[in-house]
Amino acid sequence: MIWLAWRQFRIQLLAAAAVLLVFLAALALTWTQVTGLARDTGFTGCQADACDNAADAFTGALSNVTAGWLYYVGMAVMFVLPILLGIFWGAPLVARELETGTYRMIFSQSVSRRRWLLVKLAVGVVAAAMSAGLVTLVLTGWAAPIDRAESRISPVTFATRGVVPIAYAALAFVIGVIAGMVLRRTVAAMAVTMLAVVAVQVAVPLVLVPALAQPVTSVTALNLDKRFLIGPAPSTDKWTLDAQAQIPGAWIVSMTTVTSTGAEFTGPVDTTKCDPARPIGDPSDECREWLKMQNLNQKVTYVPASSFWPLQWREFGALIALTIGLSWLSVWWIRRRLT
Amino acid sequence: MTDALSAEGLTKKYGGRTALSDCTLSVPAGRVVGLVGPNGAGKSTLLQLACGLLDPTAGRIEVLGTTPMSGTRQVGFVAQDTPVYAALTVAEHLRIGARLNPSWDAALAERRIAQVGLDPSQKAGKLSGGQRAQLALTVAAAKRPDLLLLDEPVAALDPLARRGFLQGLMELTAEQGISVIMSSHLVADLERVCDYLIVLVASRVRVAGDVDELLATHHRLVGPRRDPAELGAGRAMVEQSHTDVQSTLVVRSTAPIDDPSWRVDRLNLEDIVLAYMSGAATAAPQRVLEGRR
Repeated sequence: MIWLAWRQFRIQLLAAAAVLLVFLAALALTWTQVTGLARDTGFTGCQADACDNAADAFTGALSNVTAGWLYYVGMAVMFVLPILLGIFWGAPLVARELETGTYRMIFSQSVSRRRWLLVKLAVGVVAAAMSAGLVTLVLTGWAAPIDRAESRISPVTFATRGVVPIAYAALAFVIGVIAGMVLRRTVAAMAVTMLAVVAVQVAVPLVLVPALAQPVTSVTALNLDKRFLIGPAPSTDKWTLDAQAQIPGAWIVSMTTVTSTGAEFTGPVDTTKCDPARPIGDPSDECREWLKMQNLNQKVTYVPASSFWPLQWREFGALIALTIGLSWLSVWWIRRRLT
Repeated sequence: MTDALSAEGLTKKYGGRTALSDCTLSVPAGRVVGLVGPNGAGKSTLLQLACGLLDPTAGRIEVLGTTPMSGTRQVGFVAQDTPVYAALTVAEHLRIGARLNPSWDAALAERRIAQVGLDPSQKAGKLSGGQRAQLALTVAAAKRPDLLLLDEPVAALDPLARRGFLQGLMELTAEQGISVIMSSHLVADLERVCDYLIVLVASRVRVAGDVDELLATHHRLVGPRRDPAELGAGRAMVEQSHTDVQSTLVVRSTAPIDDPSWRVDRLNLEDIVLAYMSGAATAAPQRVLEGRR
């Protein structure tokens, strides 16, 4: 049975492998470009405050070379890979057998439908997980210096690093299989698989990750020596004050400027110091000094960079649990509902 | 001896459409059974119920004494249009059979492939309809089932391929002594190989019985016009047609017809089946007969 699963799967597997190898080769060829730029801009081995400027210099330099472009290609690949695996590996797995009628031949051999499907699922899931695993392993290593300069825990990057892409690939494959089994048409199953996988990719960062992330909240004195934005909110008499939070590598969920009582700062502001007519990004020095006297704090809700791996494993676990649940459903379906 | 197939009140519905209704049947083992009926009569449904690809909506079916389940060793099945994997070669199909069937008879499979002249390295998608049917039959037969089910295996074949296929089937049954149930909408295909016949019309079994017995007990009566109710005991009407002066009846009768006012003709198998098919529209259910009592 394993031989049959392999025999029917190998062309799809080789096609995917060929495409992924091109991408992996591109990463390998630009590996030294990334590490070289990180070193030359002083980002590698930087200390404390110097890191901010070095990081800016590093990402700035990256945007002019292939690696900077490849960084975004890498994210795109990690989002598109599960969709393609679901469409081209998962959806036809059962649908094509139903469409061509070959299920009647294969189910007449001395092998139960349950075992046939379980072997096919296992081979597909393992292949999907290994393909995604190889790519994410290389990409996570390749992008490590860039991720340190940006943030690898922010939602978009997070889904393309570590072990989460493996779970996405496995889940997308099983979604494809079950869509094909229920719809019994390859093309329809492919379309539904694409929509379903994209829906999962949107819903997970929006719903699941915030629930798993356990963000922390900190209130610290507002640092007004750096760039900040101040101005009246449009069509109200309120003011807004936004300063950058200085938490390296964290995923900032929300940040607000609060007064010493803990309430959100909405003014009023001494308009003789802070002219409402000035551009919001360019406050006057008097305004800056006046604001410093107000005992303002910054309240930040964030997921620290150190939560990366715990959160990776939690999301991985949740997606794999979903994959196992859908696999169980598909095994039930092929026995009960296909008749 | 356990019946090859027995069914009681077997019904299968797809949504609102009834494909097989209230089918009660018992087919002895060790026979080559022909299942004949017009297209859409429920032949495929009955065979797929028998090999466990479908579950009945109501009623009971037993195959070789157990409830059928797909993936059993005892039953082989050649589906309609003889599906095979187009991208796989003939040899790979035999390998599938060998891998998935503990009872696989590799010698039989290879001998048959050579006999019918299939090239093992050829892709199954490139085979002609006749060759594909032979491949599907080989895979099903080399599993060495106790019961082989064939769903319209020759429907798409030209007369020569049809003869070759039936020839191969006869050789197999002769050397293995297995039970075969084979469906067709053409009696001519079945006549040559079958010794037992089931006629299925509009999702109902009209008649089932030994071919010799069917031939011996069916008569066409031609005589002056009269009421068919006068036929007498032990006789059942299959089909009737009347003109102003003359009645033509097809009856089933165990007793000889000795009324001199009838001209009695023997019927061949095709006549009998056609009589049941055309009589189905008019015949009342109680006139439906069963072969074995």
